[in-house]
Amino acid sequence: MSASWVVDVLFWLLAAGSLVTGWLVFRTDSMVRAAFWLLASFVGVGAMVIMLGAEFIGIVLILMMAGEMLIMAIIMVMFMMNPAGLNPMFMVHQHRASIVAGTTAFLGLAIVAVLTSFPDRPVASGVDATEQLGFELLGGSMLAFQTAGVALLSTMIGAVVLANRQGRYGSADEGSIEPDLDPEPSAEDPGSGTVSDAAGGRS
Amino acid sequence: MGVRATLARWAAAAPVPTFVVAGFGAREAAQDLWLDPRIVLVAAPRQASVLLLAGDVPEPLLQAAIRAHDVMPAPRAVVAWRTSHRAVTERFPTVAVAEGPQPAEALVAVHRALRTGDQTSTPPILADVDPAPWRGEGPYGQGGSGMTGGVPYGRPMATREDDRDGLTLDALPVPVGPLFAGFPDGLSARITFKGDLVHRFELQPNPFAADPQADRDDPFVRALADPVPIAELEVARARELLRACARTLHLQGLDALAVRAIALAGRAGPGEAAAVRRLGRWVTARWCTAVQLRRVGRIEPAALDGLGVGPVARAAGLAEDVRTDDPAYRHLGFTALTQQGNDAAARLAQRFDEAVQALELAGRADGLRAGGNGAVEGPRGRLTADGSPTARLLELVPELVTGREWGDATAALASLDLDLREAASRSADVAADPL
Amino acid sequence: MTGQGVHPMVAVTLIGGLLTVGVYIVAVLDATLRALVAGHPLQVGSVLTGPIRRAALLATTASGDTERPDAQGWALAPALLAGLAAVALATVPLTPQVSVADPSTGFVVFSAAIAFVMIAVFLHGWSPNSPWPLHGAYRYGAQALAFQIPFLLAMLATTLPAESLQIGEIVRAQEPLWNVVRQPLGLPLYLVVGVGVSFWGPLNLPDAADLAGGTTAESSGVGALLWQVARAAMLVAVAAMGAAAFLGGWWGPWLPAPVWMALKTLVLLAALVASRHLIARVRLERFVVICWVVLIPLALVNVFVAGAWLL
Repeated sequence: MSASWVVDVLFWLLAAGSLVTGWLVFRTDSMVRAAFWLLASFVGVGAMVIMLGAEFIGIVLILMMAGEMLIMAIIMVMFMMNPAGLNPMFMVHQHRASIVAGTTAFLGLAIVAVLTSFPDRPVASGVDATEQLGFELLGGSMLAFQTAGVALLSTMIGAVVLANRQGRYGSADEGSIEPDLDPEPSAEDPGSGTVSDAAGGRS
Repeated sequence: MGVRATLARWAAAAPVPTFVVAGFGAREAAQDLWLDPRIVLVAAPRQASVLLLAGDVPEPLLQAAIRAHDVMPAPRAVVAWRTSHRAVTERFPTVAVAEGPQPAEALVAVHRALRTGDQTSTPPILADVDPAPWRGEGPYGQGGSGMTGGVPYGRPMATREDDRDGLTLDALPVPVGPLFAGFPDGLSARITFKGDLVHRFELQPNPFAADPQADRDDPFVRALADPVPIAELEVARARELLRACARTLHLQGLDALAVRAIALAGRAGPGEAAAVRRLGRWVTARWCTAVQLRRVGRIEPAALDGLGVGPVARAAGLAEDVRTDDPAYRHLGFTALTQQGNDAAARLAQRFDEAVQALELAGRADGLRAGGNGAVEGPRGRLTADGSPTARLLELVPELVTGREWGDATAALASLDLDLREAASRSADVAADPL
Repeated sequence: MTGQGVHPMVAVTLIGGLLTVGVYIVAVLDATLRALVAGHPLQVGSVLTGPIRRAALLATTASGDTERPDAQGWALAPALLAGLAAVALATVPLTPQVSVADPSTGFVVFSAAIAFVMIAVFLHGWSPNSPWPLHGAYRYGAQALAFQIPFLLAMLATTLPAESLQIGEIVRAQEPLWNVVRQPLGLPLYLVVGVGVSFWGPLNLPDAADLAGGTTAESSGVGALLWQVARAAMLVAVAAMGAAAFLGGWWGPWLPAPVWMALKTLVLLAALVASRHLIARVRLERFVVICWVVLIPLALVNVFVAGAWLL
């Protein structure tokens, strides 16, 4: 059938595209370009997930990556002294360690991919995967997902508290400096007056 | 007829994207171009196809205009209107000189000629060389120095500097002006940005001061020496105030309302007081500008006290006005209007109120005259032979904008209605020349 | 399932045609409203031909070049924005019978297109390698991240009565009562965010006048033309989705279904375009605070009310 031929070509194009753009992440000389190549790679993966019938997961992957890659690009530029991340810069460091890490990760994944027997259960064409996913999320897997959700929420609240200007250790404008571990009170600090000082003040 | 010729014919009939450099004596004429549907004034030279040099453009602005010319896309042309001819033709090899009371006709004619091929695009004036080429050292061009050159070549480079967020890496020094559309004409500054915040603001010299010109046609300047009819003064005041309001509206993205204000300024007279009041009510409504401009550009009233900065001081509740001491104005029952807001919203409302008041005074003035005693209440405040409100307000500018978001900084500057020509013409050394 | 039978070529032509007509309508509406607010006499001929003349002008102007721009990114940004507008419009069902793509996850597809707008704007501002466009790009980052959540929540509430993420189902569920009545908070929230997505008028922070045009400060020629067209196309897509999700889409008495859909889209489009001439630009800081502190709680209330209605 002609449709399956189109699907095959599309799948291989997307797969190759994801790989090439993933490789370009490390070949480019700019942080912002690297972030956008990574985004392109993820969009390719998302499209393949859609082709596998998991429409919702694929599109949500694409949706989330847009915001995440933009934030990543902005934060990377913020931390590096490189106007807009456009000046050429060297994106690959610690070659030996990264070669070892990369090869190990690739071999590990390859072994898993080759040795695992993947399930082969074609889904009937009338099934709505989105609906099934919804029932799964709020049914059998509800506990796991709700636990993860609450954990993520508390992480977010914690991050907001830490990033707050009136942080745990005072205003960020004044440095928000962590108090010394040494319990000995400093002479000038009026907040840490000792009992004897207070008693002396009263008499 | 080919596609290209058809496109060119349509393009010739489009509004002319014009970038204006307004010198002495062209402030109003440049703003009036907004009223002409055949012209569209653009904010960046890259969007323009005609560069208009209007009035006597001082040397530093001409230098900036040359750089603006070189970034304009082809086909491009230069039109000079009421310029001192030699200074311009020396620098711009091909320039069309416009005659008449308005430059619009010449702009349209030049634009037509450009698009139909009767006139060729002007060549670049500066050599296209990078003053600070990138000298990368690594295999990917990374590292090394350079690329921190001038304008238009080279771009600002972020530098290390302490910041309130603890990151020391995001200070970006950018030279802004003197042709930046979001600033009053000619204002230029070296600004260090931290994100959207103005971290440091160093005012650069006033370009108009390089070649100051007397402003003898200005009724307020004439009133310094001789009495001038109050009706004339007050109509001129209402016009200036409406033009200032239009500049604020334009900066806030309300181009159409700004056009309405400019049109009203053009035909302002005692009969238009009601129209000005209606427009003022519309524009200063909460949903239109009031909420957006509230608490923007606040200045300590103590800093304004005794400064004689007209509407800006009166919008902060200080009833300072030279007119209250003038017997002719007292005869007309003049009292200074004030507001309590002390922000950009209050200044906008104050200017509309004062424009209405001025037109009503003009209607009642009959033949009364005022002035001749060395100090006049101009549309921006107390004007003397050697002192202008703009010069006094400029002193407050760095403190006003430092630490503000860029949008607030530009809105605050617009709310002061600075006129750098006035500051140059009324400075001590120029005024020393006998008129 | 509707819309299954549309041939790909028909779909592309349909979306292209609709967007072209929509962009032209946006330009004409904008010129008309500008003349009305400015107090100029309305010259119908020049209003109708104005967009074509301006397009011809930009098409015959050279593209500028900055120092070391990211040329690919700069060329890609307007195309990406236009493509996103096409994707967003494609998910909107036009009549009960005709919809270009009405997948069961239509809402998520539309949201993904909206989320990618910030990539397009950032790319457009970052690529020219110039201070004002870059400034605009970063501004839009802050603006877009702030309105994404209220936007998703406002749209999410409309999926509850339909019990589906499919836009066609959302419209069908509005037969007894339009969402604008059922969820009175939804449409205002959606419109605020819709103006932000198209960075139009009061929420035109990335291309603002105080940045000398922002991300467009270095654009000229065909690139500038495409960017303006893409932006107007985004406005059309937002208005069409607003008509479908909140104003009952094709439902309405007496008139045929496509006419109702077109009329409702036109009303929303006029409201969105008019905001540019009537409301001053909102301050970025205030907008971000309003999004996080006011709009998100309001949108959550909207979701809870919509949910309670179902119970």
